[in-house]
Amino acid sequence: MTNAQLDTPVLILGGGVAGLAAAVDLARRGVAATIIEREPRLGGRASQFCCKATEACARCGACRLGELMAQAAHLPQITIYTAALAVAAQPRGDGWQVELAPQPNGEIGPGPGRPLSERATLNAQAVILAVGGEAFNPAGKTRFGHGRVEGVFSALELEAMLAQGALGPKAMAPAKVAFIQCVGSRDASLGRLWCSRVCCGYALRMGRVIRGLLPESEVTFFHMDVQDYGRAWEEELPELRKQMRFVRAMPGEVTAGDGGPEVTYALAGEQAIKEGFDLVVLSVGLGPPNGASALGELFGAAKDSDGFLTADGGPAGVFVAGAAAGPRSLNESIVHGGLAASQAASRVASLSEARHG
Amino acid sequence: MAKVSLVWVATPGLDDLDPALVAKAAGMALDQGGLLEAAVVTTSQEQAPKQLRQRLVGLPVAWLELAAEVGGGPEAHRLARAAVAVSRAAGRAAKGTLPPVYAPQPAQSVLVAGAGYSALAAAWESAALGHPVTLATPFEAFDQAGADDDPEAVSLMAAQLPAQVELVPHSELTRLIGGAGGFNVWLSTNGDAPQTYGAVFLAPPGELAVGCEVDGLDPALCCPVSQLNPEDYQAPADGWLHVAVLAGTAEPVPSYSFSAALDAALALARRPRVQVTLLYSEARVAAPGGEKLFRDCREAGVLIARVATGGLQVRADGRELAWLDPLLGEELELAPAAMVLAQQATASRPAWLDNDLLIKPWGELVPDNPRLAGGRTSRTGLYLTGALRGTAPGDARRAEAAAAAAAMHEVLTGKVVPMPVVRDSFCASCLTCVRTCPHGAPRYAVEHIQCAPAACLACGACAAECPAEAIAPPGWGNPEMFSSLEWGLALAAEPKMVLFACAASGMPAVASLSAQGHEWPAGLVIYPLVCAARMSQVLLLKALELGAKRVLVAGCHPGNCRSVTGNHKAMAKIASLSGDLAALGLPPEAMEFLPLAANQTRELAQKVAAMAQGLGEE
Repeated sequence: MTNAQLDTPVLILGGGVAGLAAAVDLARRGVAATIIEREPRLGGRASQFCCKATEACARCGACRLGELMAQAAHLPQITIYTAALAVAAQPRGDGWQVELAPQPNGEIGPGPGRPLSERATLNAQAVILAVGGEAFNPAGKTRFGHGRVEGVFSALELEAMLAQGALGPKAMAPAKVAFIQCVGSRDASLGRLWCSRVCCGYALRMGRVIRGLLPESEVTFFHMDVQDYGRAWEEELPELRKQMRFVRAMPGEVTAGDGGPEVTYALAGEQAIKEGFDLVVLSVGLGPPNGASALGELFGAAKDSDGFLTADGGPAGVFVAGAAAGPRSLNESIVHGGLAASQAASRVASLSEARHG
Repeated sequence: MAKVSLVWVATPGLDDLDPALVAKAAGMALDQGGLLEAAVVTTSQEQAPKQLRQRLVGLPVAWLELAAEVGGGPEAHRLARAAVAVSRAAGRAAKGTLPPVYAPQPAQSVLVAGAGYSALAAAWESAALGHPVTLATPFEAFDQAGADDDPEAVSLMAAQLPAQVELVPHSELTRLIGGAGGFNVWLSTNGDAPQTYGAVFLAPPGELAVGCEVDGLDPALCCPVSQLNPEDYQAPADGWLHVAVLAGTAEPVPSYSFSAALDAALALARRPRVQVTLLYSEARVAAPGGEKLFRDCREAGVLIARVATGGLQVRADGRELAWLDPLLGEELELAPAAMVLAQQATASRPAWLDNDLLIKPWGELVPDNPRLAGGRTSRTGLYLTGALRGTAPGDARRAEAAAAAAAMHEVLTGKVVPMPVVRDSFCASCLTCVRTCPHGAPRYAVEHIQCAPAACLACGACAAECPAEAIAPPGWGNPEMFSSLEWGLALAAEPKMVLFACAASGMPAVASLSAQGHEWPAGLVIYPLVCAARMSQVLLLKALELGAKRVLVAGCHPGNCRSVTGNHKAMAKIASLSGDLAALGLPPEAMEFLPLAANQTRELAQKVAAMAQGLGEE
């Protein structure tokens, strides 16, 4: 039995914002592309994110996923297969030959793209790896009590709760909320020696959403340093400092107290304090994609010293877009998809020039 | 001035009009088949008979689809409109020797005004997409790097630039009007003569400013990071050399500046008997490798001193530093032998960008609006990149140029949005559309409003604001919208409601809900808009007149509108009608604006349900 043949100029692995943006930008450049998404539906991590606007847009970019999906669905140059996984890849001629296998698990959701129904072979002149980064599993930082202490959530769980307009199972009561930053970032004990860039931005945005939803709420922001996450936000930081309590200390642990989780922390030069909260949110960082090593082996893609994928020093015709190449916000990933599209398009153009003299 | 004749081509819709009467009313001669100097023809160039076209070759001609201009109604009205349209067209034909502001096809040429990595990347990307590119640089050499660039990356990029890119040294963009497909641009090297380009990239060379450090430091002790030569820092034979590196003490610096300061601190700390103290307010380690660099500094013996933002004091004529150490709770002092100051990239914003009368109505051209990420501005075809936009040096600027060029290519070659129809006979030449359009599409040229099709996004702001109902994207004029609204409301059950939904926020939310099987109230009419900018007071009131008890406009959150202020305009119009609602005996909630994101389906469903419930209780 021969596999279905799905040849394409550019193969994009991953249908999150970076992959979609790369496909749309390729279409703008007149180059066709095929997106392979391993999940049953497109969207990647951005589909879990809530809008963080209060009186004005917070510039998080979560709303742009829908726009990109609609564009990708309508552009004739873009083909999308969901529930599909690249299982083998080898250089062939000028490009890559990739074996695809359907992912049987998961039900097919609505949305653009059709599920891959059978094993297929695909030849592409360029491959863009847009598989996203992996959010740190907060259970790996045991002293913060995730999964053990009631009322401790990861920031991703809070995104889902806020998308429902609630603050967890206790719903809409004003609450005392603590954000703990740098969970799984800037942490030598975990061997994760990088700043995740995006966490200060999303935590402060969500803190402001909580204050907007329930103005009686108190929000505390435990952090080491506030990172830069947009020009306009730099100007808003003084106002945010009034809305929330900024505590420059990394808590020692989070334990179960009488009314909710208790955070133990020490201010500089002072005794440790134990403070009770209704909700503790762990701002988990972004790391290299889970399958980075598998993908690296599949395509021989190079990795940087932190384990993120990089196109530099890798094989010809393999490019990387979005958070797979390092922590990136949604907006940054979308623009970065444009760079991979440019690189892939210029490879396709130079190959066809070489072929036609 | 040439004498203009009226060339009457009989077309359907003009049968009942007397050509001689129209010509007389317009004060023109009717063409009798003789020699002509200039002409107004009552049909389009494509539909004119071949013989006529041959007769008109080389003459100034205004092609006028008169049937569309005169519309319906009583004969006398139609005659009057025809006369007005013809006489206006005559004005155009008489001045027909002037070059048109917009070519019928969008110009494909691209101007990159600027220098350094961002400018070269934009030129390279545009040329790779097949556009003729002119690079106007203020410098002598186009491969000169901006102060904030990596010179190596710049010379690499410059070497890759295709030979057909036209290079104009010592040149600056001094003024710009028009829109995508037809920008008129004045360059300092061209004197008064404007040149036409389809798109413009503005990427002035970056400068490095020491803006984030305290004032009053002794300049003799200070050195900016970019000018540091660690070899110059020799410790005395019998002691240590104390150097302070200031990395954002008055206010935090961006992460790329912080990393550069860390690099400097590390290089100095590796010198023999040099003691480095790093002073900062926030450790901005978000640049790639920043955290590791920070740790390398500690390990190399750099003393880390965090000060409260703005908490660093300068003493002894700028030679001593003092701050409160948060850990020890006491004041520390340092009298360093030298100070190294972090720098932030900036670019001088050309005065014309803010001052030019034709630019100002478009407002802030570099918003942090997520819909305009990647170099784009609200003004289609104009891209602002690099230091001017605050983009960090390096890869981010390369990505920005790539994304902007792809967007540019689509605008100039892609599917053209249906161009707004301008009905000359209705137009009062008030220029409201020129002031209103966020994208720079309409332009007043030779007694006539012309729109650049490539620039138009069909948002409908012009149609909403035009007091004479003279301009609208096809299908978006008041008559069309009124009739489809009437049709929709006639089908809806009582109590009737209208939801006007923006295509970027309200409509995707409606579509997601509908796909999930959401049941809308039977009385709800969902009316899609390209942008909330299309809302007008007339349209809002029309919905009430046609029987709607509630009108909801679902548009983007402030700061998220692709047309910049479409949402604000809709809000303002609704607010301005609050008094009228009271006079009509309607509650304030009869007309509301709902700021929404495409993924806020729950919010939309709740709002509509609340609206229906409120009506049911009335």
